[in-house]
Amino acid sequence: MTKKRKAAKASRKKTSRTRLSAALSAKQTPKQRVAMLAQAPLAVCESDTNMQAVLGVLRNTAEPTEVRLAAMDTMATAAFSVVAFEPCRNDYIAALREMSQDPSPEIRESALGLLAGEKDGFAQKKLLEGLKSPEKALVRPEKALQLLGYDVHAESYAVARDIVENPPSDTARREALRLLSADARSAPLFEKLLRDKNEKREIRQISASALQALNPTKLQDHARALLLDDSDYDDIRATSLEAIEQFGDPAHVAKDSDLLQSVERLSTTAPPKYKKGAKHFLSKYTR
Amino acid sequence: MKVELQINNSASPQARFVGWAPSPCRIRVTNPMGTLLPTTSVQLRSVSASGGGAVVFRKDTAGAFAKTLTLTVPTNGTTVSFFVAGKFGQPSTTNGDVRIEARARLNLLSAALTSVGFVPLMVRIRKNAESLTTGERDRFVAAMAQLNNQGAGRFADFRNMHTDVSSPQAHGAPAFLPWHRTYLLDLERELQAIDASVALPYWRFDQPAPNLFTPDFLGVADANGTVQFSATNPLQFWTTDGVQGVVRGPRNNWDPTTQPGPTVITEAQTLAIGTAYPAFRTMEGNPHGTAHTRWDGFIRSIGTAAKDPLFFLLHCNVDRLWAKWQRQNSRFDPAQAASYDSNPANPIGHNLTDTMWPWNGVTGAPRPPTAPGGPLAVSPCVSAPGPQPRVQSSLDYQGVVNALSREGFDYDDIRFA
Repeated sequence: MTKKRKAAKASRKKTSRTRLSAALSAKQTPKQRVAMLAQAPLAVCESDTNMQAVLGVLRNTAEPTEVRLAAMDTMATAAFSVVAFEPCRNDYIAALREMSQDPSPEIRESALGLLAGEKDGFAQKKLLEGLKSPEKALVRPEKALQLLGYDVHAESYAVARDIVENPPSDTARREALRLLSADARSAPLFEKLLRDKNEKREIRQISASALQALNPTKLQDHARALLLDDSDYDDIRATSLEAIEQFGDPAHVAKDSDLLQSVERLSTTAPPKYKKGAKHFLSKYTR
Repeated sequence: MKVELQINNSASPQARFVGWAPSPCRIRVTNPMGTLLPTTSVQLRSVSASGGGAVVFRKDTAGAFAKTLTLTVPTNGTTVSFFVAGKFGQPSTTNGDVRIEARARLNLLSAALTSVGFVPLMVRIRKNAESLTTGERDRFVAAMAQLNNQGAGRFADFRNMHTDVSSPQAHGAPAFLPWHRTYLLDLERELQAIDASVALPYWRFDQPAPNLFTPDFLGVADANGTVQFSATNPLQFWTTDGVQGVVRGPRNNWDPTTQPGPTVITEAQTLAIGTAYPAFRTMEGNPHGTAHTRWDGFIRSIGTAAKDPLFFLLHCNVDRLWAKWQRQNSRFDPAQAASYDSNPANPIGHNLTDTMWPWNGVTGAPRPPTAPGGPLAVSPCVSAPGPQPRVQSSLDYQGVVNALSREGFDYDDIRFA
């Protein structure tokens, strides 16, 4: 390395260290510290001392939550520099696991989110425990289900099915269904939900999407039936239209006169936002 | 008389796409009826549809571009070469919204020029996602949804290329920018195989994005961080790793539709990081890493980031920033030291002459155990960077140093150097 390049590198490191020092200083306002921490990911990877200093802010419950969250973001950003970050990784994961049980719900949720991205077994176990025994829950059930969906295991399916049966909230039920979209055994459930006009539209839309992944042929059949049913909701019919347009067999669709007539009706009677899709569909298949 | 116009030196309609960098083209007389002389004079001009793109011409590899070009073309069928480029600032919005018209004087006694042939084409440019027309937006999301094909499509390879296991090939070392440029190009070519009019849009993470984060485009997060799409958006079927949907919520009360990414440095600050690549590549931290970690959800971690379609728009902007920096500092030439961070200590995959994983198909330490996706997708328009690109392939993406290095993409706000 040339002298000039070494000097430039040293200068960048110095700037980075200066920012980190400022970020750690209680003399700065929380807003200033948050801004400084955002400029410090490089410094984190430079030395164990720097990393421990940032982890110290993260662990310190006396620090303002926004500064602790910024410290977590700095570590998460530094983790993108994989090679340089590697020596810090174990301490980082250990700190996140510790933070997953922090008194602050924001810190807990944020830490568990990062651990879920790492497919961390410890976090998965804690999330499942919380769903089975709500008194042990570290985050809301809908968040736990969502995070378990990052790396689905069979054990999660049983818990998700229970929640679909006895949901603590509508959002938890929805997240349980999203998680079950990876479970082949749940295909009949999604067929039933999709065709149930009394079901929430959001749930029917998720069911269409899940079914498309689990059994695409079945979804094409159901989507066609929903489009032929003028009494069903326009948004569900729009979802069905998208399923057929994007993933159906074009040759088959072009010959289906009943379907095309039904879409023709949709193109004249539906609200403008759905009419456009119907017209586009017709332009594609009735050229 | 009739002439044939070949764009990118190809008669195939699939090759009729140009950017700001000059595309080599040919013209030849296919039917000399009515001409008596061994050569004929043909004028080329750009004819734009309303709101469409425009092209400019030049005869040789260097020199200024002009609105028209007059060529002397043999009537015996021999081809004559010329160059076409998109007129900077006037990209296409649909395929074929600009055409090159060839005109000639058929009667020696007449001054009038008669059309003797034309070819429709597209000035296909990567644009700010905020500026896309409804049609451009809808074609992009439809192509992404079809590539994903409910998790069973070719997109699964792209998801599997960007994981914790493969991360050292792509992050934390000098080839961070070249690897991701190639990765985006591979994805974009696959999208273009579905719909040739699609170019990757970019997300300006240092600006508010009111058009991008809508139910009809990349969706809107609900209170739980689950992204909601409209019933007409095919991304509602998005599935990765077997699970339906996208998890992505802005952190710390940030509203991405009205505010730039908090603490993400601006474009001007990024371009001022330094004039040599070793300094500039520190942008991997801020703005790149910071733009990732402004969110909760998939995009916040390397191992899950590529599960979110936003990832590709974020990286398209990272790549645009590199391209802009390259132009600002003339850093296209791999032989120039300041264009790259060459160092004997660079890990494998990060030296200029190294082939890049996974396109090289090499598996086993120090490369990852598998190489998903196979060779890089081919383009009907250009030959670079080839099926097994090297790190150095990506630097001269416009073909500034070597015209054959042109990779076939351009950004709406970066001229041909």
